[in-house]
This record gives sequence, structure tokens and C-alpha cells, in this order.
Amino acid sequence: MLNEFFLSLEYLPLAQHIGATWWFPLIESLHVVSITLMLGAILMVDLRVLGLAATRYSVSTLSRELVPWSAVALGVAGATGIAMFITRASAHAVNPAFQIKMLLMVLAGINVAVFHLIIFRHNVDWDPRINTSVAARLVAASSIALWIGVMLAGRWVGHIV
Amino acid sequence: MMSELADWLSNTPVRDFSASLLSSIPGLPPVLQTVHLLSIAAIMASIVMIDLRVLGLAVPSQDIGEMIARLSPWTVWGIVGAASSGIWFILARPNRYFSNPVFQIKFALLALAIILTFAFYRLGRNQASIWSGTGGRFSLARAYAFVSLSLWLGVAMAGRWIAYSEYLFWPE
Repeated sequence: MLNEFFLSLEYLPLAQHIGATWWFPLIESLHVVSITLMLGAILMVDLRVLGLAATRYSVSTLSRELVPWSAVALGVAGATGIAMFITRASAHAVNPAFQIKMLLMVLAGINVAVFHLIIFRHNVDWDPRINTSVAARLVAASSIALWIGVMLAGRWVGHIV
Repeated sequence: MMSELADWLSNTPVRDFSASLLSSIPGLPPVLQTVHLLSIAAIMASIVMIDLRVLGLAVPSQDIGEMIARLSPWTVWGIVGAASSGIWFILARPNRYFSNPVFQIKFALLALAIILTFAFYRLGRNQASIWSGTGGRFSLARAYAFVSLSLWLGVAMAGRWIAYSEYLFWPE
């Protein structure tokens, strides 16, 4: 039944149009711009939390100014990603690289929720300091590892189909 | 000239080495492409973010001169990382890449982007006062930032379009 749903996505006029025209490379190139911008903004915050970069700024300053950029870029990446997914939905759904990518994205989502909703929710005393809490560093290191994994798995999708 | 360079490269051991490297090590192409993406992310987080800052669109609490001093090494390493991960694909199929009009456009945009970026870094370091004024020089800096931003995003997008050049340039 799920397979029928994915097939019905592929038969959408929009999916057919994207797959058969220059829309696909345009959407794919916008996906590249948005994921690299998103990763750039995320890395800047993660490296600051790890005490490795931009230590003159507090974590809250960087987070306030960069998280909106990563969120907007994630939105564009999601929209362009769905637009590409529907052109080959049934094949992507069974592609192990695609499945691993989705799993890693869920883990990255949980990771960022843990950071913003639990670890960094209240004014923390380490906010302006180079040495942040161990929990914050663990989350930042996990974030970097997970997003690199998402990129690798995403790139691998195209090598399996 | 491009085709002669491609022909010459095709007849060197470098081409055979690169082609066998990419085809014999399982997973090497996506790994190199991921390094390429991470390098582009470093460029996005450095010069593109500085461009957005100069345009008044991002990171308002950060000083532009300070950003240049802190982030310019990331631009250098981003370019080095992107070049060292991307070059194997070119060396393995020089004729295919050099004859591709989108590839030629990408490298023309890239050359311009690199020249503009390092001229800007030099100017920004030596004459930090350019950021504090509101006069003609600051307008010039904003115009520069808009061109730089367009060039870098254009390079990133053109890279992906290399594989789809027939949509733009139908082969004769």
C-alpha cells in the first residue's frame, strides 16, 4: 500500500514535470546551495559550543543570529528535497542510502531539540565562556557528525539509483 | 585551447591514475563529493556570510573587520578542500569536462569570485574604516558584496548543472 502511495506521487503532474525538464537540475542546484548554507550556519554554532571558533561571541549571540539562517535553509532544502523525491519516490523509498539519510536526519532533529529545549533552554552560566558544559559539547560534536553523515548518505543516494 | 589541454591530459598517466582511483575504491566518489560539499559549506560560512553581513542581512552583532580576520582562513581551506576533492573527477575525464559549457562557466565565475574575495579581504584588513562610514565607499562595499554573493552562489549552482548541460546547451 505504501508502495502504491509512492507510485501515485510519481504520477503527479508536478512530479512528471520536474523529472522531465530543467526544473530538476534547477531544484537540485538550489538543494546544494541550501544544504551547504545550512551546514555552514550549523557548523559555526557547533564549533563555538565546542570552544573551537568565534569564542569572542557568546553561544546565545551566535545561536540567535545563525539558527534562523539554518532554519530557513533547512526549509528550502526540505522543499527542494521533496520536489526531487516525488520524481522517483518508490525507488528512493527502498534505497538504503536514502533510508539511512532519513534516519540520520531524525537523529539530528532529536539532537538539536535536546540542545535548544533542554540543555540551552535557560540562561546557562557557560553561555559567554569558552568552556561550555560537557553535555553541550557532546550535542555539538554529535550535530557535526550527524550532519556530515546526512550529506554523505544524501550524496550516496545518487550512486545507488 | 581547452580541447588541446584536455587531449594532452588524456594522454598522461594522471588520467589513468585518477580514473582507476575513482572506479576501484568503493565509495570514493560519494566520499569525495561529501568533502566537496563540506568545503562549500566552509565558503558559505565565511565569504558568503561576510557578504550577507555587509548587505545588512545577517549576523548584525559581528564586526566586519573582525569577521574578515576570523573567517578568511575558512575561505582559503574551503577553496583548497573543494579543489582537492573535485580535481580527481576532472582529471579522470578531461575531455568531458573541458568541453562542457557549464563547466567553463563555473570556472569563469569561480576565477572572478576568488579574485574579488581576496581583493576584498585585503582591502578590508588594510582599510577597516570602509565599514564605519555611510558614504560612497560603503555603497561600493555593498555593491561588491552583492556581486560576490551572486558569484559564489552561481559557482555552487553551476557545479551541479555540469551534469545537466544539455538542458541549456544542446550538443551540436
